[in-house]
Amino acid sequence: MSRHRVVITGAGAFSACGKGAQTLWQAARDGNSGVREVRFERIVDQKVTQAAAISDALLSENEVHDRPRLQDRVSKFALIATQEAMTQAGLAPGDIGEETGVIVGTGFGGADTLDRNYWIFSRQENERMDPFCIPRIMNNAAASWISIIWGATGPVYCNSTACSAASQSIGLAYQMVQAGIMQRCITGGTEGCVVPGVFKAWESLRVLSPTKCRPFSRDRNGMVLGEGAGILVIETLDSAQARGAEVLAEIVGYGTSSDAGDLLRPDPAGAAASMGKAIADAGIQPVDIGYINAHGTATVANDSCETGAMRAVFGDALDDIAVSSTKPVHGHALGAAGALEMIVTLGALREQMAPPNLNFTEADSKVPLTPVLGQARAIDTRYCLSNSFAFGGINASLILGLAPQ
Amino acid sequence: MRNDSESNQALESALLDIVAEEAMVDRAILTPEAQLENLDIASADFVMILMAIEENFGIYISVDNELADLKTVQDLLTLATKKITDDDSSEDKAE
Repeated sequence: MSRHRVVITGAGAFSACGKGAQTLWQAARDGNSGVREVRFERIVDQKVTQAAAISDALLSENEVHDRPRLQDRVSKFALIATQEAMTQAGLAPGDIGEETGVIVGTGFGGADTLDRNYWIFSRQENERMDPFCIPRIMNNAAASWISIIWGATGPVYCNSTACSAASQSIGLAYQMVQAGIMQRCITGGTEGCVVPGVFKAWESLRVLSPTKCRPFSRDRNGMVLGEGAGILVIETLDSAQARGAEVLAEIVGYGTSSDAGDLLRPDPAGAAASMGKAIADAGIQPVDIGYINAHGTATVANDSCETGAMRAVFGDALDDIAVSSTKPVHGHALGAAGALEMIVTLGALREQMAPPNLNFTEADSKVPLTPVLGQARAIDTRYCLSNSFAFGGINASLILGLAPQ
Repeated sequence: MRNDSESNQALESALLDIVAEEAMVDRAILTPEAQLENLDIASADFVMILMAIEENFGIYISVDNELADLKTVQDLLTLATKKITDDDSSEDKAE
């Protein structure tokens, strides 16, 4: 079977850093964090108070007004990012049809609607529940709205694999476009999880930092939640060239694996397998990678596991590769994480700059890695890799290559 | 000094009650030198223990390197006591 080359022709992002893929990239590159204080009236004696949350004002300023009453904020985020990506790709609703699919993942789906309406239901105070709860909450709502508004009548999937949802969505889209199952795909991830119930649930698991998100640092003590959407328009190189579309980068490799072990504790072997498969798929050598956007949640378990896995794959060469987690900037956006980080990785590749790993204070003997510290570092590379690892033991790695000349 | 020591003992005793209940371990075998691994106290039990510490002492403790490195019951008591007494607001609530 001949394999099509798969390229990115549009990118859109909506995050706590603001609207725009370029806005997100610049925030990551310049180390400007979107993390802010969040207070929820419904959480009594709230202990964790930081999140990379999207404010109501930011959302209303940018909302795409197309039947918004039927949409949870998680779908609105995705539609904002899609509009940007499609505009950059030079595509309008009438331009696409059955050759274009949609694969957009999410972890929590319509969390805000679910949260608000369970609150109404549990209090039994004769307050009306939203009759559109179901269509707002269902995980595939964002993917379906993209399909409806843009007229993409090809395959639509919603991949819900927690923190790997977006990376796996992009990976699956890449494989399907590569195989000729569709010519083009609108893909990525979206998450609207910074709502009281979900926030409290994450806090209860004791993986949220009460202070700062410090990936790979010895004193790391947890992650900071984020939210938003990252959307890419990907298509065959032939399709992009035929349309005269600007190619931003090429997706050259994807690997995914399952730990088949513990639900919550990650296994370095699984993470290494994911990276190894992506590198093999790209047909390159580990040393060809010049930047790794790490999953780097700043939990004790992830960062030591991920470093062990990177050491297993790259060996001593890892010391010459720029590595950073940009989660202190955009937060851990769960089902959108891989898409936001793919857009950061795209920026890194295109500008040949590795963004910094914020909040690192000291090395950890169990984490033999010095990430990019201080400010962005110049790189000289054709390939960058992005990792996502999820609860459930699901690992995904994507490799971007420079746009074909 | 003596008061500190007495209050520490009371705190450690309260913590042992929490560990016994949350990790479902017989209070009698929770000796200071006992290995957490041998008591079958795993990471999921830690989450329950930390939740109970928050409920009883009003402090939030996330999983960090210090917590991940605990080996014995005494290690756990020492760390929890340190975190509780380090917290500004803990003194009154710990009574």
